[in-house]
Amino acid sequence: MAINLLGFASAFATFLGVWLGHVAVRKIERETTNLWIPALIAFTMGFGFEVASFFVSSLYLSAMCGILGVTLLWDSFEFYRQQKRIKHGHAPANPKNPRHAKILAEYPVATIFDWLDRNPRGMAYSPTELASIKENEK
Amino acid sequence: MNLFGFLLGIATLFIIGLGFIWVIRGERYFGYLWWPYVMAAGALCILGSLFMLNNWASSLIGALGASLIWGSTELKEQAVRGEIGWYPFRAKKILPPFEDAIKKWKAPSL
Repeated sequence: MAINLLGFASAFATFLGVWLGHVAVRKIERETTNLWIPALIAFTMGFGFEVASFFVSSLYLSAMCGILGVTLLWDSFEFYRQQKRIKHGHAPANPKNPRHAKILAEYPVATIFDWLDRNPRGMAYSPTELASIKENEK
Repeated sequence: MNLFGFLLGIATLFIIGLGFIWVIRGERYFGYLWWPYVMAAGALCILGSLFMLNNWASSLIGALGASLIWGSTELKEQAVRGEIGWYPFRAKKILPPFEDAIKKWKAPSL
């Protein structure tokens, strides 16, 4: 029976692309002072992968280049969306990063506290509970 | 010129974009405890893609499978986002079969 590995290659590229988009973008945004540098690198790499996808004759390589390319192009914008999350306090700021230190000074809701580092409890938190969680973190 | 990868990339972008929607909606109504089922569905998609002779069908089902597996690891964080008020919260969830056993497992989060 013939096996078609194209789906597996696509799945691998998709998982890698989404993983890079989530984990690597978060980590790089946290450490970088000038956000345009990783954004430009991601954009250039994404563009390069798309161009490569046109010219490789192998369907496997074309599929993986096409998928990784679009996720990298997306990531170049995601760096700025991640910065927005830092400003809204939805992702923890890194006080050692001067760009984040500035955000912490300018945006009162920005925090170094990671709200998502907890287990679901099956119940919504009241505003009082949320305030006391934040107070205990200081 | 080989347009396959480029078009597949665009299609995958929509599949991933859809992931944002179903993770948010799915968690709101069903809860994060469905994660093992979602992960299994993703694995089955990838397994099934191996036997699809049509290249487009195989690639799209493979990408969908990867997106389902990723989404299954996002459900736990999404549950917390709802509880702390970043997303609308719905207390009444449609719970999965064997929820008590699943509760004892550590929900993945990447």
